[in-house]
Amino acid sequence: MSINAYLIVAGVIFCIGAFGVLIRKNLIIIFMSLELMFNAANLGLVAVSGYLNLIDGDIFVIFVMVVAAAEAAIALGIAVAFYREKGTVDIDKANELKL
Amino acid sequence: MEALFYVFSIIAVFSALMVITMKNPLTSALYLVLCFFAIAGFYVLLDMQFLAAMQVLVYAGAIMVLVVLVIMLLNLSKIKKIKTDLHQLFIAVIIFIILFAEIALYIINGSLKKPTGIYTHALINKIGNTQIIGEFLFTKYIFPFEVASILLLVAIIGAYLFAKKKY
Repeated sequence: MSINAYLIVAGVIFCIGAFGVLIRKNLIIIFMSLELMFNAANLGLVAVSGYLNLIDGDIFVIFVMVVAAAEAAIALGIAVAFYREKGTVDIDKANELKL
Repeated sequence: MEALFYVFSIIAVFSALMVITMKNPLTSALYLVLCFFAIAGFYVLLDMQFLAAMQVLVYAGAIMVLVVLVIMLLNLSKIKKIKTDLHQLFIAVIIFIILFAEIALYIINGSLKKPTGIYTHALINKIGNTQIIGEFLFTKYIFPFEVASILLLVAIIGAYLFAKKKY
C-alpha cells in the first residue's frame, strides 16, 4: 500500500478522536478519545518512518506509548478523585477551581 | 496485503466511531480494544512486529485493563446519562470539519520526499526489527530512555497522590 493510504486512515481516526473529545462530557470517554488520537499519531509516525527507511519514528512511538501509560495512570487517578468529590464524572460539574 | 489493509482500516474506523457514540462507557472501552488490535494489524503490515506486540501488550493490555477497572470501580452504568447539549455539538461539528479539511488538504497537496535512510524493509526483516529497535534505544536514544523512566516514576507518585483520600 502507498503511504498516503496509511496517512488517510490515521487522519480519519485522529479526527474522530478529536470529535469525541469535543462532543462527549463523560471524563472516561474523553480519555478514551484521547487514546484514539495518540494511536492515530503513532500510526502516522510508523507509516512515514517505514516510507523514509528510518527507525527514528518507531523509537518515537515507543516513547509515545510510555507517555500514554503515564497519562493513563494520572488521568484515571483524577477521575477517581473527581468522582469521590462530586459523585459523577460529568466534566461540567468541574467548575469550582479549588481543592 | 491490500485486502488486509482494507479490512483493518474498516475495523479501525468503525470501532473508533463506536467509541465516541456508545452510551455505555464499558461498550466504548471494548470497541477501543478492537481499534487497538486493528492498529496493531497495521504495524504488522508495515513490518514492525515488535511495535504490534507492544501495542497489544501496553495499550490493549495494560491501559485498557486500567480503564475497565476504573469504570467498574466508579459504577458508571448506574449514574444517570450525561447529555451533550446542542450548542456544544454545533461548535464540535464546525471544528471537526475544519480539522478534517486541513488534514485532507495537507495529504492532497503535500509531495513526498525521497527515502533518506538505509533501513529498508528487506534490511529490517534480515536483521530483525526487535534488534534494530533495541540498538537504537540503547545508543542514540539513551537519554530519552532514561528520562522516560523518571517520567514513569513521577506518574506513579502522581497517581498515588490523586487517588489518596485526603490531600
